[in-house]
Amino acid sequence: MIEWLDNFLVRSVIAGLVMVAIAAPMGCLMVWQRLAFLSDTLGHAAILGVGLGLLFQVQPIFGVLAVVLLIVFSLSQVGSFNNALSETTLAIISHTGLAGGIILLGAMPSQTVDIEAILFGDLLSISLADLLLLLITSLVLFFVLLIHWRAFVALSVSREIAQAEGVPVRKLQFLMYTMIALLVAVMMKAMGVLLIAAMLVIPTTTARLFSRSPEQMVMISALYGFGALAGGITSSFRFDWQTGPAIVVCATMLLLVTLATMGVRSLILDRYRIDQKSKT
Amino acid sequence: MQAELLLRAKDISYSEGGRVILDRVSFELRRSQITTIIGPNGAGKSTLMNIVTGLIDKYRGEIERASDLRIGYFPQKVYVNTLMPLSVARLLQLTHSASETELDHALARTEVGYLKHRQVRSLSEGELKRVLLARTTLGKPDLIVLDEPTSGVDVTGEIKMYELIGELRSNMHCAVLLVSHNLHLVMSKTDQVLCLNQHLCCSGLPESVSQHPEYLAIFGPQAADSIAVYAHHHDHVHDVSGQQEEPRHD
Repeated sequence: MIEWLDNFLVRSVIAGLVMVAIAAPMGCLMVWQRLAFLSDTLGHAAILGVGLGLLFQVQPIFGVLAVVLLIVFSLSQVGSFNNALSETTLAIISHTGLAGGIILLGAMPSQTVDIEAILFGDLLSISLADLLLLLITSLVLFFVLLIHWRAFVALSVSREIAQAEGVPVRKLQFLMYTMIALLVAVMMKAMGVLLIAAMLVIPTTTARLFSRSPEQMVMISALYGFGALAGGITSSFRFDWQTGPAIVVCATMLLLVTLATMGVRSLILDRYRIDQKSKT
Repeated sequence: MQAELLLRAKDISYSEGGRVILDRVSFELRRSQITTIIGPNGAGKSTLMNIVTGLIDKYRGEIERASDLRIGYFPQKVYVNTLMPLSVARLLQLTHSASETELDHALARTEVGYLKHRQVRSLSEGELKRVLLARTTLGKPDLIVLDEPTSGVDVTGEIKMYELIGELRSNMHCAVLLVSHNLHLVMSKTDQVLCLNQHLCCSGLPESVSQHPEYLAIFGPQAADSIAVYAHHHDHVHDVSGQQEEPRHD
């Protein structure tokens, strides 16, 4: 069909770009709503999904989807994510999913399972089908985000205000959790279950340092995400690092460099202001 | 002639985890009236507010709202999400957009026009309260619901806040429903006091409530004297954040 998609590098770069682009708004919403841990939990539990997929001999992605959607649905039935209990609940789900998944995978004939790829992902070996799935899912998520953006932001600032002013808070929260579940499922192939949360949280945290509006934070997160992606893929080629971990390390480097730059800048500015003051 | 009826609550009951929080509470809210809910901690005040605003929908009893009732809500604790970059102007437009003029007018109503472009995370507690109060006026609400609008503000700032609320009522002709657990500062402007302790102990004008036996039983006899403390004078004015303003002569 389209021949240049046969090139693995082209596929992985496109996948990376799509992933970063959708991770920026989703990551921001998750950081604002303190849901970063949820993505981590879903990521870990996804291993169980992979195991179940292999056990029932369907595509692993279906097993993953079933597991993460089931978790999101049952959590939303039990009640709010944002109470003290939920942290322990999430930890239990997370580690049970991980443990159960590892047992299932261990029981499989070893040639069918590449545990390392499941844990850390393999952006460079992404198939055309994986890429299409990521692309379509991301487009759907973008569309939903566009429609509900104002309401999602309102919900993040204050659940109470949003509810009182007619935002269907409960529905939107469930929608948000479902979207996170979908994102985790399609990002798994590229980033691995252990590193998805990093991709959603680190560029966002860097952007937060100097953003002045929610939308600006999304844009800047995307830029940092692209930076991390470029750095990650390059170093993966140069030093033969695994791509997923390389992207995450690059994202953290960018965070540290930004922090340092801002620190130095404010030191200089403070010094300058004190000087100005003593002159007058 | 009575003012337009905006909301009628009839026999509202609510329980949570087997504990009765509200027991057959009935009241009416009318245009241009200020209704204050007082009661001890755990009396169900915030729950009642949440039922009025629609945050809680699993209650028993009936609530009739005037058609197209617009509610402006001022939550007790706005957990200001410091993780979010957000300007004051944007906070005001959280759920609905507004023109620059509307924003300026709203902020001017609570005397915080100068905060328009500041980041929400950099505001002091008092500044945030006034911005939020401005915010509730933006959608031209028929009913403003305020849950402990003065928590975290000092006494003089509190008086100022109540003055602002009184002004909003007269300028915007809206009903005001507010929760206070500070008996000493129940506004003299209040038209109706609801004394709540799971059930509605008594209700009426501040003076009559303060003499009611159930009120006295809950809050003690010394509380009877304190209800009108608000009606006193200062030779200077503090703003909500507690800073002294220029003396005002009127």
